[in-house]
Amino acid sequence: MQVKWRNSLKNGWRYAALAPILLLDGCAGNSYWIFDPKGLMADTSLFYLLVDVGIMGTIVGLTALLVVWFMWRYQKGKNRGKYDPVWSHSNTIEVVVWGIPIIAVGVLSYFAVVGTFEINPYNPTVISKQRKPASDPVEVDVIATDWQWLFVYPQYHMAVANELVLPAHTPVFFRLTSTAVTTTFFIPQLVGMIDVMPGMRTKNALESSNIGEYQGIASDYAGAGTSWMTFKTNILSSADFGQWVQRVRQSPTSMTYTSFNNYADPYINVHHKVAYFSSVQDGLFDHVIDEVMNGKTWPIPPMMTENMVAYMQKQNAQHRD
Amino acid sequence: MLVDLAGGWNPMWGRLAWSQIPYDNPILAPLFVAVVVGAILVLGLITYYGKWTYLWKEWLTTVDHKKLGVMYILIGLVMLFRGFIDGLMIRTQQAWAVGAHSSGVFGATHGYLTPFHFGQIYSAHGVIMILLAATPLLVGFMNIIVPIQIGARDMAYPYLNALGLWLTAAAGALIMISLFVGDFAHNGWFGYAPIFELQYSPGVGVDYWIWTMELVALGTTLGGINILATIIKMRAPGMTWGRLPIFVWATLSANVIALTSFPALQVALALIAADRYLGAHFFTAGLGGNLMLYTNLFWIWGHPEVYFVILPAFGMMSEIFPTFSEKPLFGYITMVLASMAIAGVSWLVWLHHFFTMGAGPYVNSAFSVATMLVGIPTGVKVFNWAFTMYRGRLTFNTAMLWAIGALFLLLIGGLTGMMLAVPAINYMVHNSVFVVAHFHTMLLVIVYAIFASVIYWFPKVFGFKLDEFWAKTMFWLFSAGTVLVFVPMYMLGFMGMTRRLDYVFNTVWHPYLLVMEFGIAVYMLSVLAFVALLYVSIRDHAKNQVGADAWGTSRSLEWLTHSPVPFYNFAVLPHISARDEVAWRRDNGIDHVQPDHYEDIHMPNNTGVAIILGGLTFVLGFALVWRIWWLCALSLLAIVALVIYRSFKGDPGYIITAAEVEKMEKEALRREAQISK
Repeated sequence: MQVKWRNSLKNGWRYAALAPILLLDGCAGNSYWIFDPKGLMADTSLFYLLVDVGIMGTIVGLTALLVVWFMWRYQKGKNRGKYDPVWSHSNTIEVVVWGIPIIAVGVLSYFAVVGTFEINPYNPTVISKQRKPASDPVEVDVIATDWQWLFVYPQYHMAVANELVLPAHTPVFFRLTSTAVTTTFFIPQLVGMIDVMPGMRTKNALESSNIGEYQGIASDYAGAGTSWMTFKTNILSSADFGQWVQRVRQSPTSMTYTSFNNYADPYINVHHKVAYFSSVQDGLFDHVIDEVMNGKTWPIPPMMTENMVAYMQKQNAQHRD
Repeated sequence: MLVDLAGGWNPMWGRLAWSQIPYDNPILAPLFVAVVVGAILVLGLITYYGKWTYLWKEWLTTVDHKKLGVMYILIGLVMLFRGFIDGLMIRTQQAWAVGAHSSGVFGATHGYLTPFHFGQIYSAHGVIMILLAATPLLVGFMNIIVPIQIGARDMAYPYLNALGLWLTAAAGALIMISLFVGDFAHNGWFGYAPIFELQYSPGVGVDYWIWTMELVALGTTLGGINILATIIKMRAPGMTWGRLPIFVWATLSANVIALTSFPALQVALALIAADRYLGAHFFTAGLGGNLMLYTNLFWIWGHPEVYFVILPAFGMMSEIFPTFSEKPLFGYITMVLASMAIAGVSWLVWLHHFFTMGAGPYVNSAFSVATMLVGIPTGVKVFNWAFTMYRGRLTFNTAMLWAIGALFLLLIGGLTGMMLAVPAINYMVHNSVFVVAHFHTMLLVIVYAIFASVIYWFPKVFGFKLDEFWAKTMFWLFSAGTVLVFVPMYMLGFMGMTRRLDYVFNTVWHPYLLVMEFGIAVYMLSVLAFVALLYVSIRDHAKNQVGADAWGTSRSLEWLTHSPVPFYNFAVLPHISARDEVAWRRDNGIDHVQPDHYEDIHMPNNTGVAIILGGLTFVLGFALVWRIWWLCALSLLAIVALVIYRSFKGDPGYIITAAEVEKMEKEALRREAQISK
């Protein structure tokens, strides 16, 4: 019921609100990732965005018109409006100018609080309560290094670097940590941002019913390689996902605690290289957090990025590319 | 040594080595030559015209709040230009380095800046714009205007005031020298834990960042104490709280924030220094450190700081709207309450800078609602300005145009701010260029208010008005630049573009980035228009001279005394009878009444101690950055000794006799009579 009115509201408002922007952008409307969500989490965010812009946009728009009208009416020498050199107080206006923001903030606060619980990254009620999942959730442990993403699938004992593949119509629960510095995990069309921090565990979740490829971004500055620290997110049908899992399992490489230690050294992923690991030592995620909390770091050599061209040659020479 | 340092260290030179001078950098080396040539030229000209004594006596050792204010504003304008050039470099890199096929020069694979240099530039851009452009510009105006508006002769502590200026100057010098000796931080203006730790930032950049911010923080804290004491204790007779000009109220609320929040920053930075210098683990990821603690500590200062810079800007607008609407400010008491409310709420919202850090929904909800509360007093302010224009008689002077521009920017910034206050929306646009566009909109409110104030108060300080044609040209060019840069930036935010990309992977964003680059070029034209504005105005200054009430419709006390303001401000301290004293006197026909007799005036002496302390602090900062311990000890010792020496010496001040005052007043009145002819 609630979902229904929200959906019609959302679709109506979406096109009304976006019309000017879409017109500006011609037919490439879907390049506005925030307005083109493909998953439950991002969809919910868009709903609140439209509610907020609807309420605030009305007030701000009317205020702007009021100011323009005053500017026109009371311009000196035009004699359009009456000049009153002492008028500076009115109880009615005071009540109105305090009242409007108070009411607006009251209404928006309600939506803000409800929305915060709905897409709370630790337990999003849009995923956990409002739908019956079509299949069992998929768990993904995300480990950010300088400057790559490792996605560990603990249920399948395998891992993939710099590519995230997920089944459609399935809740996905992430646990996230980082080896070195702080960054942020972000897939604009699927789920909002969550910080990824060394020695810490954050969570996030998503669910998508749209098969397709979506951009993932490291959206917080993590040093020299941040701009190349992107990943593609593929949402596949469950059959295709099963096949993909089989493909990863045939990969000759595997990931152990020791090999992770080398993998986590600073590396700029200029060529968006993807790597499959057919098996992963159990508990890698918790092992990384423990290591970091006990003082393990993966330092950056001084001046490694003074000259990017020279650094890339060095990285190539080390056969890490 | 308590920590392992990459690169060499020796007792004599610390970490300093010839290799730290970027003489092989194709951008910095020519700039360095230009700076050296320019400096030699300026120093040569001063010597040639024999102006050293004048400079030393009238400016460098002055404790006059107006001259200190002018110097604050000069520092602010220079740093604003430096920050703008940083912005131009950021925009150029992002317009160039788009897609895998974009070319690269100067050691960059794409564009012309390597990631490390790009990181330094946007970090310097942020630090400079907030702490060394906006803050000194606003402090400058507070310095000049507040004592005159409350009918005081100077600040409560004139020497402390000079010290604040020279500490700020030392900070500016420190960040400038990081261009040519060593490097700057790449961790953003607010820094992230643990990227500023030694393992991830082994160079001296982060140390420059720490000590620059510490110096500004110290200077601003001292300034805050001074301004608070001045407003509370130095008001002229009859200047009750209910009659205080609105800009003074704004300044008061802002400095309450400054005094209470800057110490948090100083502590946070000192803890980073402990990590980097002593091998402590306050903000490391492991060994008991807590990196989230840093983010909290920083924003506990950082968010109040935002209001520290925006409240004086609101105060400026509240002075300008009534003058050019020819009627009193609508809802004075509401305006005061709103300023105080904003100052109060500023303490309760810091977490909205990191909703994405993973605090639970209860915490995020509480901070979301608190953040929205700021919208109430701010909204009230906007309505009050609108109703100040209502039933007014509006003149669209350039100062008024800037103020109206600020009002519209505030509406847009308010709309986007209310979006960011909702965590559900924030998750999608946090760390995207949408946020960058939002806070630039808000900071542009401040820039617009500052340029409005430059036009508005310039005649008060210098005795002549700025050229209206070039002022308007600059305004329209600047506004065109604002639209061209920030509208595409908002759009890119909705397209999912994240901030701080030195290489842009999505070619769809390219046209927007090119429009922004074009906008930056238009901004550059407005900078040239500003230079033309100053040149033309100074050339024609004889034509544009003004009397005490430069605009003929001004309202507050500063317009009672002569323009330019004599160094003693008022020949006889005025007795205040109304909220808008000058308007009240004008309405009662007594605005030109002169005192029947003059009295002796007690004024503070100039002092060279402040500038010497500033210089020593710069040396201390530089020595700390490079870990030259003997120099640290020496400069610290000198600072402590000098402070103690000055404390015991004190300043008895000097007396201007009534006869001298009368002579100077007669001269000023004669000049004013000439102008009115």
